[in-house]
Amino acid sequence: MGILDLVTLIVENLARRKGRVALTAVGVIIGTAAVVLLVSLGVGLQQNAADQLGGIGDLTKIQVYPTYGEFDPNTGQPIGGTMLTDQTIADIGALPGVTAVIPQDYFQGYAQIKLDRLEGGSQMLGVGTNDLGQLGVKAQQGSLELKRGTAVVGAMVSQSFYDPRLRPGQDPPPPPDLYDKQLVLNLVKYTPDGQEVRKTVRLKVGGVLAEARDEPDWSIYIPLDELTGYNTWVTGQRIDRNKVGYNNMIVRVADLDQVLDVTEQITNLGYQAYTPQSFVQGINGFYLILQIIFGGVGAIALLVAAIGIANTMAMAILERTREIGLMKAVGATNQHVLGVFLGESAGIGFLGGLGGVALGWGLGQVANVFVLSYLAGQSAETGAPPPTVAVSTPLWLPIFALIFATIIGLISGLYPALSAATLSPIKALKYE
Amino acid sequence: MSFITITNLRKSYQMGRETVHALAGVSLNIEANSFWAVMGPSGSGKSTLMYLLGGLDRPSSGQIQVGQQAIESLDENALAVYRRRTIGFIFQSFNLIASLSALDNVAFPLRFARVPRRQRHARAYELLVRVGLGDRIHHKPTELSGGQQQRVAVARALVNNPQLILADEPTGNLDTASGTAIMELLSDLHKSGRTVLVVTHDPRMTSYATHTVQLLDGRIVSETSRD
Repeated sequence: MGILDLVTLIVENLARRKGRVALTAVGVIIGTAAVVLLVSLGVGLQQNAADQLGGIGDLTKIQVYPTYGEFDPNTGQPIGGTMLTDQTIADIGALPGVTAVIPQDYFQGYAQIKLDRLEGGSQMLGVGTNDLGQLGVKAQQGSLELKRGTAVVGAMVSQSFYDPRLRPGQDPPPPPDLYDKQLVLNLVKYTPDGQEVRKTVRLKVGGVLAEARDEPDWSIYIPLDELTGYNTWVTGQRIDRNKVGYNNMIVRVADLDQVLDVTEQITNLGYQAYTPQSFVQGINGFYLILQIIFGGVGAIALLVAAIGIANTMAMAILERTREIGLMKAVGATNQHVLGVFLGESAGIGFLGGLGGVALGWGLGQVANVFVLSYLAGQSAETGAPPPTVAVSTPLWLPIFALIFATIIGLISGLYPALSAATLSPIKALKYE
Repeated sequence: MSFITITNLRKSYQMGRETVHALAGVSLNIEANSFWAVMGPSGSGKSTLMYLLGGLDRPSSGQIQVGQQAIESLDENALAVYRRRTIGFIFQSFNLIASLSALDNVAFPLRFARVPRRQRHARAYELLVRVGLGDRIHHKPTELSGGQQQRVAVARALVNNPQLILADEPTGNLDTASGTAIMELLSDLHKSGRTVLVVTHDPRMTSYATHTVQLLDGRIVSETSRD
């Protein structure tokens, strides 16, 4: 018996009992549709989350910090721990995939910033590069280049300016435009006996960063060696990076796929390394679990459908016992009988899967129209960007669902088909 | 040498605690192109003999030699091939598939024999014409009389062109006229060169048969031949 003959016989047998096949397939349709719709919902939610997360920093950026050991209670000195030295820059720079290692340090004193009558204050950062573009930030005004005597300021720095002579009831002045302005910085330190010492520095703003919703928004960037000079003035000690280390480092990686790997290697070198990528991975993991749970709910519906198929096939074999006996009498082998009945139950699974994929996909499209129009109305009220998609069906899902439904059918028919194949032909022929 | 040699054939069933000997040592030589009527009361073992000969059941002991093959030693798949190539079965209750037309019922065995669809239908049509149902090929079994249904079954038994036709009470469900027609048909098959073995209660069958065997309690009590 050729495959084509077998398939034709199976199709004809199914067509003989359209009503019952359809009723049994409805169970599979519901189960498959549930799997397709729910998993599509999970995928859609994940895509939405990914869209929202797109605004979070630069995913190829790794923040590296030293590890801090415990403090010896007797001497007050740290024990253990690691430092970010020039050797660290070389070590991390040698890791495969690393394109830049940029040390950073913060100003350790207090800096009062003056612009005409206005006063402001922001953290001041020294970075070991003259191109801020390496940090993954973008300029909205001017350039990202850092030169001696210039600064690049974050988007929110101008918000910190206020008028110290503002009288009650007066409106505060609007935030100043800092680009190309000369800032006067009063660096303040206190001597051990409480004397205030001031030092005045002038910086020209060479660029203003675009809003990043991250630390750079509130920072004033200057070249690292300049900052080291100010810190030396504050502490009164020469700063040897091989003894005190850098505060932290920004590591850039060429490819997104390498980020987690490089992060792990930096951790193995004995430093603390953070990347938003691990956060994104965590989110993805959450949505994967969500999809599995959703898929599981659908799978339960499919399980119920599987019992339905098994029941229908068991009934069919009872009804067609004499037919099975006849098949054997006219020369069908046990394998032929097995193939016919397995094929019929797999066929019910396949038909149900086909219907379920269509139904699940269709419901998803309908849900998209209604949910999106509702959410668009919601976000118009709150001002948040509307979600682009509610239910998203990836191509693999209908293919997987169809194969899965067919296999469910096949497995459900296994026991009835085996009992049909091993039926004694004489008993089958005499069955009333 | 005979076409079929049955030697000391036994078949026992376990019925509860009792062992029933359906066949208790039957030996028979059947020449090719002969017509055998196997007769006897209910429970005499005549159907058992037919099923063992047709490879639908296995003997408890003894040998069945058909042509060159020792039937009792064939495995399941070889038995299926033996039934397909060598045997044509006719049953008392016809065993037609209700949802198939006469044509499809006759062609049904060819599905398992790797015969192309077009050839299957041509062969089935030819046989239906031969049994006198050329104008009924698209009728379902329920639209045919008992005699017509049995003729469809005869055509089906012939579709694989078997050497041996085995019929189990083929006239048992039919009126006298229809039964006679079936007997004529079986006689024609015999005359066209096939070996026919009919299990029957109907004494009219003996007038068509070349050999008649009487069974009682699983043993042959008389064997007559009419040459």
